[in-house]
Amino acid sequence: MFAQYLTRGVKAGLVAGLVFGLFMAVVANPLVAYADELNHATVEESGHSHEAESAHSHESEGTHSHESEGTHSHGSGDSHAGEGGGHHDTAVSMAVTKAVSVAAGGLWGVVLGGAFFGVAFFFLEPAIPGPDAAKSYLMGLAGFITVSGAPWLVLPPAAPGAEQSLSVATRLPLYAGMMLAGALACLSAGYAYTRLRESSGLPAAIVGAVVPFSLLAALAVVAPENAVHGALSPTLETGLTGLFAFGQVLLWLVLAAAHAWFRLSSESESESAIPTAGRDSAPAAD
Amino acid sequence: MATANTVNGRIERARTELSPTQMAAGALFIAALGFTLLFVQDPLVHDSLHNFRHAAGIACH
Repeated sequence: MFAQYLTRGVKAGLVAGLVFGLFMAVVANPLVAYADELNHATVEESGHSHEAESAHSHESEGTHSHESEGTHSHGSGDSHAGEGGGHHDTAVSMAVTKAVSVAAGGLWGVVLGGAFFGVAFFFLEPAIPGPDAAKSYLMGLAGFITVSGAPWLVLPPAAPGAEQSLSVATRLPLYAGMMLAGALACLSAGYAYTRLRESSGLPAAIVGAVVPFSLLAALAVVAPENAVHGALSPTLETGLTGLFAFGQVLLWLVLAAAHAWFRLSSESESESAIPTAGRDSAPAAD
Repeated sequence: MATANTVNGRIERARTELSPTQMAAGALFIAALGFTLLFVQDPLVHDSLHNFRHAAGIACH
């Protein structure tokens, strides 16, 4: 049974990975490359490209790849500024970046599908409220809140080249902490909903499910603020942030839809493989 | 069905379905993946994922 759940999760992940890989290839890759070019042109115009870029990569690359990236940008800074345009400091060519990013987009879908719709769904399915198809979408919502939604309350997707006031050493634990908070909010919302639905009825259950998310929002308000300053026009930055957020929403939506669809198709094939006991009654959280 | 359809039931089910070796292998695999993603992030990997990291909203800069 576990293997079946994992297979179904990974299959949903493959579908979502294909869609997101396509999104990477035809939307995100060209746009990020264009935004990088714009940034580069702006930085060069202002006449402090070398200082700005090496300072930038020192500050914002932070803990991981700090030293090697720092030295790299020193070495390539002069020739790079002379070339004019192109990608900013990087260890690989733009073609490699594009190809690897498309592949990563596909794998991103598979990883999320396997982890959330394979493993987590297997354990949590009895506790997720609602009819069967709705469970897939609730899992998708919870996954989005955990992986992206909650951390974005503090650290929204940054447009390429934007400088952020918090260092990477601060932002990484902050991002991970908000992921944890998001997961806890989803789990406790589901738990509160199921419990209150049994004891106090639907309105109380809905209120109980909203409370953890209010706490999550309050947590985001008191978290350290990250000021983002970029060379791109604010309208373009807003658009890019919105597009990348939309991309993740799309990914989770496809994951959930594919997962719900694979459930239907596997049910018609092997009815006996899936437990039917207690399906129509509201399952207990424990 | 021996186990009830609850979260505890599912954990029990996984325990009976998977052998300790399978669980250990799975845990090791996940640990290896996590380790790779966290610590083997040299500039080559990090930079080649630049566009993806922006699209996924996990961007350092």
